[in-house]
Amino acid sequence: MAKTYDYLFKLLLIGDSGVGKTSILFRFSEDAFNISFISTIGIDFKIRTIDLDGKKVKLQIWDTAGQERFRTITTAYYRGSMGIMLVYDVTNEKSFENIKNWIRNIEENASADVEKMILGNKCDLEAKRQVSKERGEQLAVEYQIKFIETSAKDSLNVESAFYTLARDIKAKMEKKQEASNPAGARTGGHQLRNEPQRKPTSWLSRCSLL
Amino acid sequence: MSEVEHKETPVENEEKEYVEDGKNKFIVKCKFCGSRILDKKSAKYITLEKDLPLMQQDNNRKEGEIQNEPVNEFYHVENMYTFENIGFTHTVANCKYLSCADCDAGPVGYYDNDTKHSYVAISRIVHA
Repeated sequence: MAKTYDYLFKLLLIGDSGVGKTSILFRFSEDAFNISFISTIGIDFKIRTIDLDGKKVKLQIWDTAGQERFRTITTAYYRGSMGIMLVYDVTNEKSFENIKNWIRNIEENASADVEKMILGNKCDLEAKRQVSKERGEQLAVEYQIKFIETSAKDSLNVESAFYTLARDIKAKMEKKQEASNPAGARTGGHQLRNEPQRKPTSWLSRCSLL
Repeated sequence: MSEVEHKETPVENEEKEYVEDGKNKFIVKCKFCGSRILDKKSAKYITLEKDLPLMQQDNNRKEGEIQNEPVNEFYHVENMYTFENIGFTHTVANCKYLSCADCDAGPVGYYDNDTKHSYVAISRIVHA
Protein backbone atom coordinates (compact mmCIF):
# COMPACT_ATOMS: atom_id res chain seq x y z
CA MET A 1 0.00 0.00 0.00
CA ALA A 2 1.30 3.43 -0.87
CA LYS A 3 2.31 5.68 1.93
CA THR A 4 -0.32 8.30 2.45
CA TYR A 5 1.75 10.97 4.16
CA ASP A 6 5.15 12.59 3.89
CA TYR A 7 6.05 13.26 7.50
CA LEU A 8 5.04 12.08 10.93
CA PHE A 9 5.94 14.22 13.94
CA LYS A 10 5.42 13.35 17.57
CA LEU A 11 4.74 16.45 19.69
CA LEU A 12 4.39 16.88 23.44
CA LEU A 13 2.56 19.47 25.53
CA ILE A 14 4.48 20.25 28.70
CA GLY A 15 4.00 22.71 31.55
CA ASP A 16 2.61 23.05 35.06
CA SER A 17 -0.70 21.61 36.06
CA GLY A 18 -3.62 23.91 35.27
CA VAL A 19 -2.02 25.98 32.51
CA GLY A 20 -4.50 24.64 29.97
CA LYS A 21 -2.53 21.93 28.17
CA THR A 22 -5.55 19.70 28.11
CA SER A 23 -7.73 22.50 26.70
CA ILE A 24 -5.19 23.02 23.95
CA LEU A 25 -5.59 19.37 23.03
CA PHE A 26 -9.15 18.88 24.13
CA ARG A 27 -11.75 21.56 23.51
CA PHE A 28 -14.34 20.52 26.04
CA SER A 29 -14.93 23.96 27.50
CA GLU A 30 -17.45 25.38 25.09
CA ASP A 31 -19.23 22.66 23.23
CA ALA A 32 -22.12 20.36 23.92
CA PHE A 33 -19.99 17.39 24.82
CA ASN A 34 -18.58 18.63 28.07
CA ILE A 35 -20.66 16.13 29.98
CA SER A 36 -19.92 13.35 27.59
CA PHE A 37 -18.38 10.01 28.29
CA ILE A 38 -15.16 11.09 26.54
CA SER A 39 -14.44 14.03 28.84
CA THR A 40 -14.64 11.82 31.92
CA ILE A 41 -11.95 9.51 30.57
CA GLY A 42 -9.75 12.18 29.04
CA ILE A 43 -7.69 12.30 25.87
CA ASP A 44 -4.30 10.61 25.72
CA PHE A 45 -3.24 11.92 22.31
CA LYS A 46 -4.59 13.16 19.02
CA ILE A 47 -3.62 12.63 15.44
CA ARG A 48 -3.99 15.62 13.15
CA THR A 49 -3.17 15.91 9.49
CA ILE A 50 -1.97 19.24 8.15
CA ASP A 51 -0.66 20.49 4.85
CA LEU A 52 2.75 22.12 5.05
CA ASP A 53 3.98 23.60 1.79
CA GLY A 54 2.35 20.83 -0.21
CA LYS A 55 3.50 18.02 2.11
CA LYS A 56 1.06 15.93 4.07
CA VAL A 57 2.16 15.99 7.68
CA LYS A 58 0.72 13.84 10.45
CA LEU A 59 1.03 15.24 13.94
CA GLN A 60 0.67 12.95 16.92
CA ILE A 61 0.13 15.29 19.87
CA TRP A 62 0.46 14.01 23.43
CA ASP A 63 -0.84 15.61 26.58
CA THR A 64 1.26 15.09 29.69
CA ALA A 65 -1.57 15.98 32.04
CA GLY A 66 -1.33 14.14 35.32
CA GLN A 67 2.39 13.43 35.09
CA GLU A 68 3.44 17.03 35.56
CA ARG A 69 2.49 16.91 39.23
CA PHE A 70 5.80 15.20 39.78
CA ARG A 71 7.46 18.27 38.27
CA THR A 72 9.28 16.08 35.86
CA ILE A 73 8.48 14.01 32.85
CA THR A 74 10.23 10.72 32.46
CA THR A 75 12.63 9.90 29.68
CA ALA A 76 10.23 7.34 28.29
CA TYR A 77 7.71 10.06 27.61
CA TYR A 78 10.19 12.14 25.68
CA ARG A 79 11.38 9.21 23.58
CA GLY A 80 10.93 9.93 19.92
CA SER A 81 9.39 13.35 20.46
CA MET A 82 10.45 15.85 17.85
CA GLY A 83 8.66 18.92 19.11
CA ILE A 84 7.67 20.25 22.51
CA MET A 85 5.16 22.96 23.37
CA LEU A 86 6.12 24.54 26.70
CA VAL A 87 2.93 25.97 28.11
CA TYR A 88 2.46 28.48 30.92
CA ASP A 89 -0.57 30.43 32.09
CA VAL A 90 -0.30 34.22 31.76
CA THR A 91 -2.45 34.56 34.89
CA ASN A 92 -0.08 32.39 36.94
CA GLU A 93 3.39 33.78 37.69
CA LYS A 94 4.65 30.48 39.10
CA SER A 95 3.82 28.56 35.93
CA PHE A 96 5.90 31.11 33.99
CA GLU A 97 8.86 30.82 36.35
CA ASN A 98 8.69 27.07 36.04
CA ILE A 99 9.23 27.18 32.27
CA LYS A 100 12.97 27.33 33.04
CA ASN A 101 12.67 24.15 35.08
CA TRP A 102 10.80 22.45 32.30
CA ILE A 103 13.48 23.47 29.82
CA ARG A 104 16.09 21.94 32.12
CA ASN A 105 14.00 18.77 32.35
CA ILE A 106 13.87 18.63 28.56
CA GLU A 107 17.62 19.16 28.26
CA GLU A 108 18.22 16.30 30.67
CA ASN A 109 15.75 13.86 29.16
CA ALA A 110 14.80 14.66 25.59
CA SER A 111 16.82 14.40 22.41
CA ALA A 112 19.19 17.35 22.08
CA ASP A 113 17.77 18.57 18.80
CA VAL A 114 14.09 18.57 19.79
CA GLU A 115 12.28 21.70 18.53
CA LYS A 116 10.70 23.81 21.26
CA MET A 117 8.14 26.58 21.44
CA ILE A 118 6.80 28.56 24.40
CA LEU A 119 3.06 29.24 24.69
CA GLY A 120 1.62 31.84 27.06
CA ASN A 121 -1.89 30.47 27.37
CA LYS A 122 -5.13 32.05 28.67
CA CYS A 123 -4.32 35.43 27.08
CA ASP A 124 -8.08 36.05 26.95
CA LEU A 125 -8.01 36.64 30.75
CA GLU A 126 -6.50 40.12 30.50
CA ALA A 127 -7.83 41.31 33.89
CA LYS A 128 -6.11 38.48 35.71
CA ARG A 129 -2.83 38.68 33.86
CA GLN A 130 0.34 38.37 35.96
CA VAL A 131 2.88 37.83 33.20
CA SER A 132 3.26 40.49 30.52
CA LYS A 133 3.73 39.53 26.90
CA GLU A 134 7.12 41.29 26.98
CA ARG A 135 8.39 38.97 29.72
CA GLY A 136 7.33 35.97 27.66
CA GLU A 137 9.19 37.38 24.68
CA GLN A 138 12.29 38.06 26.77
CA LEU A 139 12.36 34.50 28.05
CA ALA A 140 12.01 33.20 24.52
CA VAL A 141 14.92 35.36 23.34
CA GLU A 142 17.03 34.17 26.27
CA TYR A 143 16.54 30.54 25.27
CA GLN A 144 16.26 31.22 21.53
CA ILE A 145 12.90 29.56 21.36
CA LYS A 146 9.84 30.83 19.48
CA PHE A 147 7.03 32.29 21.55
CA ILE A 148 3.35 33.04 21.07
CA GLU A 149 0.45 33.91 23.37
CA THR A 150 -2.59 31.68 22.96
CA SER A 151 -6.13 31.29 24.17
CA ALA A 152 -7.32 27.71 23.98
CA LYS A 153 -10.73 28.97 25.07
CA ASP A 154 -11.06 31.29 22.08
CA SER A 155 -8.98 29.02 19.81
CA LEU A 156 -6.61 31.96 19.37
CA ASN A 157 -3.18 31.14 17.88
CA VAL A 158 -3.38 27.48 18.90
CA GLU A 159 -3.49 26.16 15.37
CA SER A 160 -0.86 28.56 14.12
CA ALA A 161 1.42 27.52 17.00
CA PHE A 162 1.24 23.89 15.87
CA TYR A 163 1.89 24.88 12.26
CA THR A 164 4.90 26.93 13.32
CA LEU A 165 6.39 24.11 15.39
CA ALA A 166 5.73 21.56 12.65
CA ARG A 167 7.28 23.81 10.01
CA ASP A 168 10.41 24.25 12.12
CA ILE A 169 10.75 20.49 12.57
CA LYS A 170 10.28 19.93 8.87
CA ALA A 171 12.88 22.56 8.00
CA LYS A 172 15.38 21.05 10.42
CA MET A 173 14.77 17.60 8.99
CA GLU A 174 15.19 18.73 5.40
CA LYS A 175 18.40 20.51 6.32
CA LYS A 176 19.75 17.31 7.86
CA GLN A 177 18.79 15.32 4.78
CA GLU A 178 20.53 17.78 2.53
CA ALA A 179 23.64 17.53 4.64
CA SER A 180 23.68 13.75 4.49
CA ASN A 181 22.52 13.47 0.89
CA PRO A 182 23.98 16.10 -1.39
CA ALA A 183 21.94 17.42 -4.31
CA GLY A 184 20.21 14.95 -6.53
CA ALA A 185 20.38 12.01 -4.19
CA ARG A 186 16.90 12.52 -2.79
CA THR A 187 13.61 11.68 -4.35
CA GLY A 188 10.73 14.07 -4.10
CA GLY A 189 7.78 13.65 -1.79
CA HIS A 190 5.43 12.56 -4.55
CA GLN A 191 7.70 9.83 -5.75
CA LEU A 192 8.08 8.67 -2.20
CA ARG A 193 4.37 8.28 -1.82
CA ASN A 194 4.29 5.76 -4.60
CA GLU A 195 6.99 3.63 -3.11
CA PRO A 196 5.86 0.39 -1.58
CA GLN A 197 5.44 0.83 2.14
CA ARG A 198 8.32 -0.56 4.10
CA LYS A 199 7.87 -1.91 7.57
CA PRO A 200 9.92 0.30 9.82
CA THR A 201 10.50 -0.83 13.39
CA SER A 202 9.28 2.46 14.80
CA TRP A 203 7.70 5.60 13.58
CA LEU A 204 10.98 7.40 14.18
CA SER A 205 12.85 5.28 11.72
CA ARG A 206 9.97 5.74 9.34
CA CYS A 207 10.63 9.46 9.44
CA SER A 208 14.31 9.01 8.80
CA LEU A 209 13.42 7.10 5.66
CA LEU A 210 12.03 10.25 4.19
CA MET B 1 -16.65 -3.41 27.83
CA SER B 2 -17.40 -6.93 26.74
CA GLU B 3 -14.95 -9.13 24.96
CA VAL B 4 -15.65 -9.65 21.32
CA GLU B 5 -14.29 -11.85 18.66
CA HIS B 6 -12.50 -9.86 16.01
CA LYS B 7 -13.79 -11.94 13.22
CA GLU B 8 -13.81 -10.12 9.95
CA THR B 9 -16.51 -10.83 7.49
CA PRO B 10 -15.53 -9.98 3.96
CA VAL B 11 -18.23 -8.22 2.02
CA GLU B 12 -19.14 -10.45 -0.85
CA ASN B 13 -21.94 -8.54 -2.44
CA GLU B 14 -21.49 -4.84 -2.30
CA GLU B 15 -24.93 -4.32 -0.91
CA LYS B 16 -23.82 -1.28 1.08
CA GLU B 17 -23.82 1.88 -0.97
CA TYR B 18 -20.98 3.31 1.09
CA VAL B 19 -18.68 0.33 0.50
CA GLU B 20 -16.54 -0.16 -2.59
CA ASP B 21 -13.97 -2.94 -2.99
CA GLY B 22 -14.48 -3.73 0.69
CA LYS B 23 -13.44 -0.23 1.72
CA ASN B 24 -15.10 3.06 2.61
CA LYS B 25 -16.20 4.58 -0.67
CA PHE B 26 -16.54 8.06 0.81
CA ILE B 27 -14.73 10.41 3.18
CA VAL B 28 -15.63 9.69 6.82
CA LYS B 29 -16.56 12.76 8.84
CA CYS B 30 -17.73 13.68 12.33
CA LYS B 31 -21.53 13.71 12.58
CA PHE B 32 -21.51 16.88 14.63
CA CYS B 33 -18.79 19.15 13.32
CA GLY B 34 -17.81 17.63 9.98
CA SER B 35 -14.17 17.13 10.97
CA ARG B 36 -12.48 14.77 8.52
CA ILE B 37 -11.71 11.44 10.18
CA LEU B 38 -10.73 9.16 7.30
CA ASP B 39 -9.91 9.67 3.66
CA LYS B 40 -11.95 7.67 1.20
CA LYS B 41 -10.87 4.08 0.56
CA SER B 42 -8.52 4.06 3.53
CA ALA B 43 -10.30 1.55 5.80
CA LYS B 44 -11.82 -1.91 5.48
CA TYR B 45 -15.53 -2.48 6.01
CA ILE B 46 -16.18 -5.18 8.59
CA THR B 47 -19.01 -6.42 10.71
CA LEU B 48 -18.52 -7.43 14.31
CA GLU B 49 -20.60 -7.25 17.48
CA LYS B 50 -19.33 -4.73 19.96
CA ASP B 51 -20.92 -2.79 22.82
CA LEU B 52 -19.93 0.85 22.74
CA PRO B 53 -20.79 3.47 25.39
CA LEU B 54 -23.45 5.93 24.21
CA MET B 55 -22.17 9.28 22.98
CA GLN B 56 -24.57 11.08 25.29
CA GLN B 57 -25.01 9.36 28.61
CA ASP B 58 -28.22 10.02 30.53
CA ASN B 59 -27.48 12.49 33.32
CA ASN B 60 -29.93 10.65 35.56
CA ARG B 61 -28.17 7.33 35.26
CA LYS B 62 -26.83 5.64 38.38
CA GLU B 63 -23.40 6.76 39.48
CA GLY B 64 -20.65 4.81 37.79
CA GLU B 65 -23.07 3.23 35.36
CA ILE B 66 -22.18 3.31 31.68
CA GLN B 67 -24.91 3.06 29.09
CA ASN B 68 -23.92 0.94 26.12
CA GLU B 69 -25.45 0.01 22.81
CA PRO B 70 -24.46 -2.78 20.45
CA VAL B 71 -22.75 -1.65 17.27
CA ASN B 72 -22.06 -4.04 14.40
CA GLU B 73 -20.67 -2.21 11.39
CA PHE B 74 -17.17 -0.76 11.48
CA TYR B 75 -14.33 0.56 9.40
CA HIS B 76 -11.19 -1.32 10.34
CA VAL B 77 -8.02 0.81 10.45
CA GLU B 78 -4.82 -1.18 10.90
CA ASN B 79 -2.40 1.71 11.22
CA MET B 80 -3.44 4.65 13.41
CA TYR B 81 -1.60 7.09 11.17
CA THR B 82 -4.13 6.34 8.48
CA PHE B 83 -6.49 8.65 10.35
CA GLU B 84 -6.76 12.21 9.16
CA ASN B 85 -7.94 13.62 12.48
CA ILE B 86 -8.85 11.61 15.56
CA GLY B 87 -8.50 11.58 19.34
CA PHE B 88 -7.52 8.60 21.49
CA THR B 89 -8.70 8.49 25.09
CA HIS B 90 -6.78 7.05 28.00
CA THR B 91 -6.96 3.28 28.22
CA VAL B 92 -10.03 1.63 29.70
CA ALA B 93 -10.09 -2.17 29.92
CA ASN B 94 -7.33 -2.59 27.37
CA CYS B 95 -8.86 -0.30 24.79
CA LYS B 96 -8.88 3.37 23.95
CA TYR B 97 -11.99 5.08 22.68
CA LEU B 98 -11.82 7.18 19.54
CA SER B 99 -13.19 10.72 19.57
CA CYS B 100 -13.53 13.56 17.11
CA ALA B 101 -10.31 15.58 17.11
CA ASP B 102 -12.21 18.83 16.69
CA CYS B 103 -15.34 18.66 18.85
CA ASP B 104 -14.46 15.70 21.08
CA ALA B 105 -17.70 13.87 20.30
CA GLY B 106 -17.42 10.17 20.97
CA PRO B 107 -16.85 7.33 21.25
CA VAL B 108 -16.86 7.12 17.47
CA GLY B 109 -15.09 3.79 17.78
CA TYR B 110 -12.31 2.09 19.69
CA TYR B 111 -8.67 1.08 19.52
CA ASP B 112 -7.51 -2.34 20.65
CA ASN B 113 -4.28 -2.06 22.66
CA ASP B 114 -3.27 -5.65 21.85
CA THR B 115 -3.65 -5.63 18.09
CA LYS B 116 -3.13 -1.84 17.77
CA HIS B 117 -5.97 -1.78 15.29
CA SER B 118 -8.77 0.79 15.34
CA TYR B 119 -12.46 0.35 14.61
CA VAL B 120 -14.70 3.25 13.57
CA ALA B 121 -18.42 2.72 14.21
CA ILE B 122 -20.27 3.46 10.98
CA SER B 123 -23.45 4.40 12.85
CA ARG B 124 -21.56 7.20 14.59
CA ILE B 125 -20.04 8.99 11.62
CA VAL B 126 -21.29 10.49 8.34
CA HIS B 127 -20.06 9.92 4.81
CA ALA B 128 -19.24 12.77 2.48
